[in-house]
Amino acid sequence: MTAAGTITPSDASRSRQIDPAEYAFATELAFLAAHDGSARPPGWRLTPRAVVTFIVGSDGRELALPKGVRPAGVPARLEISRKFVGDRSLVERCVVTLAGERGLLLVGEPGTAKSMLSELLSAAVCGTSELVVQGTAGTTEDQLRYGWNYALLLAGGPSPEALVPSPVLTAMRSGAVARIEEITRCLPEVQDAMVSILSDRRIAVPELSGTAGATIHAAPGFTLIATANLRDRGVSEMSAALKRRFNFETVGPIPDLAAETALVARQAKAALDRVQSTFAVDEAVLEALVTAFRDLRAGRSVEGWEVERPSTVMSTAEAVAVATSLGLAAAYFPGDRDVLSLLPAHLQGAVCKDDPADAAKLLSYWDGAVRRRAEEGARLWHQLWELRDVLQP
Amino acid sequence: MSYSPDEALRALAGSTVPYLIGVRHHSPALSVVIDDLLDTFRPEVLLLELPAEFAEWLPWLTDEATRAPVALAGVAGPGGAPAFYPFADFSPELVAARWAARNGIEVIPCDLPLADRQWHTAAADSPALAVDGPASTPLAESLRQSATGRADEDMWDRVVEARAPGAEPEAVRRAALLVGWAMRQDAADGSGVSALDLRREEWMRRCLTAVDGRRAAAMVGSFHAAALLPTAATLHGSPIDKAAAPANEAVPSSVSNGSTKPGATLLSSAAPGATTPGSATPGSASAGKTEIVVTSLVPYSFALLDSRSGYPAGIRDPRWQQAVVTAAGSPVAVESAALASVVEVCSRVRAGGHPAGPAEAREVFRLAVGLARLRGLPAPSRGELIEALQSVLAHGEVLGRGRAVAAAMEQVLVGDVRGALAPGVPRSGLRPEVEALIAELRLPERGEKARDMRLDPLRSDLDRRREVVLRQLTACHIPYAERTAVEGTGGVDALTSRWTVEWVPGTEAMLDVAGIRGVTLAQATEGVLREQRRAEESELGPTTAQIIDGLGVAAECGLVALARERLLEFIAEVPASASLAELMTALALVDRLRRGHIPGLPEPVAARLGDLPEVLGSLEAAAVRQVDGLAGSEDVADVRALVALAQRVDAAGVGLRLTDALHRLAQTGSPTMSAAAGAVQVLLGLTEPAVLGTRVASWVDGAVADEGRRRLLGRLRGLLAAAEPLLQSGNDVLDGLLDRVGTLSDADFLSRLPALRGGFQTVSPAGRDRLLAVVEDRLDEGTPFHDVADLEPALLLHRLLADRAGRAAVFALGLLPKAEPSAKDQPSSAKDLPSAENLPSAAPASAGAGPERTLSTVDRWRLLLGRKSGSLGKRAGRYAGALDELYGAGAGEGARADAAGRAGREAPFPGVREWAEELSALFGPGIREEVLARAAEGGRRDAVLMLDPDAVNPSVELLQTVLSLVGGMPESTVARLRPLVARIVDELTRRLATRLRPALAGITTPRPTRRPGGALDLPRTLRANLATTRRNAEGRVQVIPERPIFRSRARRGIDWRLVLVVDVSGSMEASVIWSALTGAILAGVPALTTHFIAFSTEVVDLTDRVSDPLTLLLEVQVGGGTHIAAGLRHARSLVTVPSRTLVAVVSDFEEGYPLGGLLAETRSLVESGVTVLGCASLDDAGRPRYSVSVASQLVAAGMPVAALSPLELARWVGEKVRG
Repeated sequence: MTAAGTITPSDASRSRQIDPAEYAFATELAFLAAHDGSARPPGWRLTPRAVVTFIVGSDGRELALPKGVRPAGVPARLEISRKFVGDRSLVERCVVTLAGERGLLLVGEPGTAKSMLSELLSAAVCGTSELVVQGTAGTTEDQLRYGWNYALLLAGGPSPEALVPSPVLTAMRSGAVARIEEITRCLPEVQDAMVSILSDRRIAVPELSGTAGATIHAAPGFTLIATANLRDRGVSEMSAALKRRFNFETVGPIPDLAAETALVARQAKAALDRVQSTFAVDEAVLEALVTAFRDLRAGRSVEGWEVERPSTVMSTAEAVAVATSLGLAAAYFPGDRDVLSLLPAHLQGAVCKDDPADAAKLLSYWDGAVRRRAEEGARLWHQLWELRDVLQP
Repeated sequence: MSYSPDEALRALAGSTVPYLIGVRHHSPALSVVIDDLLDTFRPEVLLLELPAEFAEWLPWLTDEATRAPVALAGVAGPGGAPAFYPFADFSPELVAARWAARNGIEVIPCDLPLADRQWHTAAADSPALAVDGPASTPLAESLRQSATGRADEDMWDRVVEARAPGAEPEAVRRAALLVGWAMRQDAADGSGVSALDLRREEWMRRCLTAVDGRRAAAMVGSFHAAALLPTAATLHGSPIDKAAAPANEAVPSSVSNGSTKPGATLLSSAAPGATTPGSATPGSASAGKTEIVVTSLVPYSFALLDSRSGYPAGIRDPRWQQAVVTAAGSPVAVESAALASVVEVCSRVRAGGHPAGPAEAREVFRLAVGLARLRGLPAPSRGELIEALQSVLAHGEVLGRGRAVAAAMEQVLVGDVRGALAPGVPRSGLRPEVEALIAELRLPERGEKARDMRLDPLRSDLDRRREVVLRQLTACHIPYAERTAVEGTGGVDALTSRWTVEWVPGTEAMLDVAGIRGVTLAQATEGVLREQRRAEESELGPTTAQIIDGLGVAAECGLVALARERLLEFIAEVPASASLAELMTALALVDRLRRGHIPGLPEPVAARLGDLPEVLGSLEAAAVRQVDGLAGSEDVADVRALVALAQRVDAAGVGLRLTDALHRLAQTGSPTMSAAAGAVQVLLGLTEPAVLGTRVASWVDGAVADEGRRRLLGRLRGLLAAAEPLLQSGNDVLDGLLDRVGTLSDADFLSRLPALRGGFQTVSPAGRDRLLAVVEDRLDEGTPFHDVADLEPALLLHRLLADRAGRAAVFALGLLPKAEPSAKDQPSSAKDLPSAENLPSAAPASAGAGPERTLSTVDRWRLLLGRKSGSLGKRAGRYAGALDELYGAGAGEGARADAAGRAGREAPFPGVREWAEELSALFGPGIREEVLARAAEGGRRDAVLMLDPDAVNPSVELLQTVLSLVGGMPESTVARLRPLVARIVDELTRRLATRLRPALAGITTPRPTRRPGGALDLPRTLRANLATTRRNAEGRVQVIPERPIFRSRARRGIDWRLVLVVDVSGSMEASVIWSALTGAILAGVPALTTHFIAFSTEVVDLTDRVSDPLTLLLEVQVGGGTHIAAGLRHARSLVTVPSRTLVAVVSDFEEGYPLGGLLAETRSLVESGVTVLGCASLDDAGRPRYSVSVASQLVAAGMPVAALSPLELARWVGEKVRG
């Protein structure tokens, strides 16, 4: 498992709950590789421009392969779907950062599709998104640098065979992109193991000093994408030294109501497709849900009214979860109750996580924005206003 | 759509009659190629998009001695919005005008003259002029989307500027024309081209006709270019509204409708090179009456040219644009300009104390160039540069580092170049304008004497205009008028104003300085105010007070557009971050705005600002949120604010939230606030008065011990400050109190008397008089002559005689029972005891009270109200005297009313010793200390010395009192106080320590962790795994380590550091004492290094005193403002190992400095890994008095805020350290 060639997509027929990007979009990746044949940075599978196209889509147009190029299993014309709803320029900056083999740190509130973006980037750049370390408070340096197979170590002393590489080390050897999820959840000492990797581009193994394996150098193309939450509990801060070795990109919430509603609908629908159910939640209900999430997230309603912000993060991902629950309720308990009548309780579940005062804030959202919309004659909001009792303890 | 983009472009670019150059007012790309384009075409006449009135300035504008940036400004008529045309080296018009001047080519300004009325109708909608094209349109949007998708990017930048370096001049011209055509197409398909634009284009076409026959180059906004083609009517897709265009107008070659105004302002006259002079005035046909146009040429600066300064027709980052012009279209030169900027930004960031070295600079440059390559651009443009700078340098932080980077970028990219006019340019601009204005308003002119003026702006229109002008001059810092404060009747807002007005030499000098910001007074004022806000923003953002003030000033200066902007900012910021007091100020301001009481914005104008009732609503809601933060307040001002708020909100009918908050406050607040909340509940009709009455009675009953009496005092203060009228109206609320005062035994009453008297001291003397009248009234019911002492002796005698005569008469008739009354008893008893105690008709309570109750109810009331003490009996008089020594007759309304009755009284106490003895004799020793302590609180220093160290009951309050006096005492006196303070401190520390120690136990013992991490402990692993050792095939011993053991990093507890950052800004005394005591105890814990930082506006590090609370407390000087950020900054300097540092801030969080600074400091502490905690209060009650809004923003920044007791703080420290 230490060899460089082990990162090709393995058995794609295995059933997975969620397909990683390189499997889900294998055709698009192969197409784009053939489509743009110009020079690419060392170790890259696609050109930077093709990576951008892969992530933000081809704007609804079908792209055509150049004449004479026709790899097996790749269609001649293909429309690239839009996978990341957000700034094109943000994606461009990410790609240029990676092309310069510099570390990329995606920061933002929870649920803003940072992890998805990092997965898409690494899948497009090096063909795998699986060289990943999930950062937790229990993450050790072993997982970022290397560990030992202790049985071999004790039996035969330190040797390259006894060395267990981390995903980062594997990426260094093969010139791929390694990902570190939630880097701020790792303890600061552990995080700092990354400093020397990012600046020196090599890992010294003191136990093997004097042998050929004493230093492991990064192959061209190696770089790192880390994601971090700015506003969450239980995060440790990054040291300034580490920060200086990353380019920061802040991924914001989706700016547009319609785009966010569409995204929520799409993802909730996909979740229901997996369990072979149809998503039967009304568009208007979804829009009300997303509007409520956006209002509470921004502390200001669409109309500009003041709304009290709960301490919970109201992310798009949470909105998708609520929409999925609503869809499942409609699918498994059809005809029981109107889907809309379930919305307040689900919202309450999403808002009231740890601070009891948040319940009061949701109630005041109801008494403020919801009531006013009801008074202004929006029928849906009027129904929601009538459901206020659900929220009262 | 009649043309495809290609066809349109072919038509536009191919046109030679005229030769079209579509521009934007500032465009380095075009500026670079203009000379080439004109040299190639060699026009005989050049048409520029400028109103005709400016023609006369053109020679000065192109003069070699004139250094850009400069600005042409024109104002049509009084009160017209000024048109502003700033020029820099990267303005294509200026470049072209210079070219024309060099080559001797005639220049014709071909835009619609400013005198045309169409400008005004448009200006009413939007005061900003010279902005071409709508901002967001479908076609433009799609072009932009395909370019970058960045929201703040405009199409011009992408299509023209970014692609220009290295391109052919003709290609640049074509790109510019294409963008203009696309925007126009969008406008035509969308909202339609505005009437103003159509009329301007009509005018331009007419100008073109006038030069017919000569080779003409027209340099107009690229948006208008399409309209100048011969086939214009079909090309721009929207037929010209013929009705709107003036019929049969003459060629617009001359504008001659000016007359010379005083002040020798230059007026536009005939345009140069007019072919048909004297023809009919353009515009006159439709406008009827033309306006007088005042034009000026003024020097300008890059700072004002930057569009973020708020001036119209600006561009972002002028210095960068200048650099692009200097690069003259060479991609390599642009790249090196970018590199220079990057290096400079990095060095400025470094100078700001944040690391940013060559490695970062290199990465910024690489990223910018890489982005340009990816986007297919020849060189990085402004957009790429800024994206790269932010990605690499800002580290995703908005505050802290982000601000430092933004500031550096602003300095480097905006620059501070100032323009200059050529010598000999005629005088123009602000000074002549103001002189004319002053003459018109009949204000003192130059050479006149100072005048005192009283203005009544709400009645007289002249006064209103004067008031606005004077306000504007003041806002511009022009020394001319000084405002004298006017107090309105009854403490309400004054409606008139008084000014002292004089033209001094400084007036002129400052007018010239202000002239750079505008050519009219209003414009200059707006500029000054905007500049002020920018300065505030660069100081980490305006404070809430500054935001409120900013709106007020903008409104008073009558700047509608600015006021509207400020109102938006106000709406966004104030509800979220203001304290209750600031919110009340804000409410008052919005109220005045809504009623049209601000002269600058009369009612109809103010209504246009925005939905003011809505604003009031959100301010009220914010104020209600603040109510929770009042729980710990003891301040009467807070009570008043609460009442005012409750009445407002109640009137608005949205009190749900308030009801809840009041309920909570009544339950958990400090004595003062809970009583006030209770009273407010009655005022709002939420509680029955009788319930409150019962509660008041229970307060009196409960005031047995020292603590209870203190509570009683606080509660009465709260109750009376909130609801004095409730008591005066004499309803059920009073009953309970009346009953208790009447029925308590003398001893009980007297022990409570000081507290009661102190509570009622809140009410003004006149109010107490009214209250006394009510009480007397109530007591009189059924007992008309209850109180004989009230009457004059003569009258009393008279009545007595009448009584006797009556009795004798009745007796004579045989109607009375046999018992013979002793006629001599009554007068004598009345003499001995002035009260009506022994009268048969005395209060029914007297029967039960028996011998203990010798003071009459009325006397008791007089004692506790401190009024009419002159008519008290001798014994009661002594009590009154002893207490008057403490409280006096009070101050304020009606204070002197009672003075007459006391005139003859001799000074009761020669010194405090006698007084203290008297107190002791009258009330007993316990009360004596209490009264003396209160006297000390009131500022009687000598009273403190009378306190007996051994007898006092050590309490934080007493300590607080004593300490508050220490500051003003000579050292010798302090020495005498030391034993007292020492004893109190010792006692309190001892008590606290017994409670805190358990929470800190075990802080030094490290806990073993079983987490695998660190290095493998080989010897121990071997020992643990000997059981699984096998011999392998080759006979070697092989250990199979089933249970590897790791060397876990032992936590060293010894180097933990606790920094107590304590607010000593006057409002925090109790917390200061608790902090000092807690600090002293924590300093005794071996595992901790405890620091104590006291801050108000200054920071004092008292760490070396922390183990000795006595010295520490004597050292602390309470008072001053609040600058939490400064305290935190010092705390940050103490941090060595961030992960083992705890910073606890004890404050009320009413930051007096920009909130941005506080948040940035907090962020940077949190980001460095320090654990930060905010204590809204640190005392045993856990009742905070703090700004809820600021606290919630701090929570978001990573500092949890809570009201803690010292025990909880110690527990927190213990938990953190133990891990």
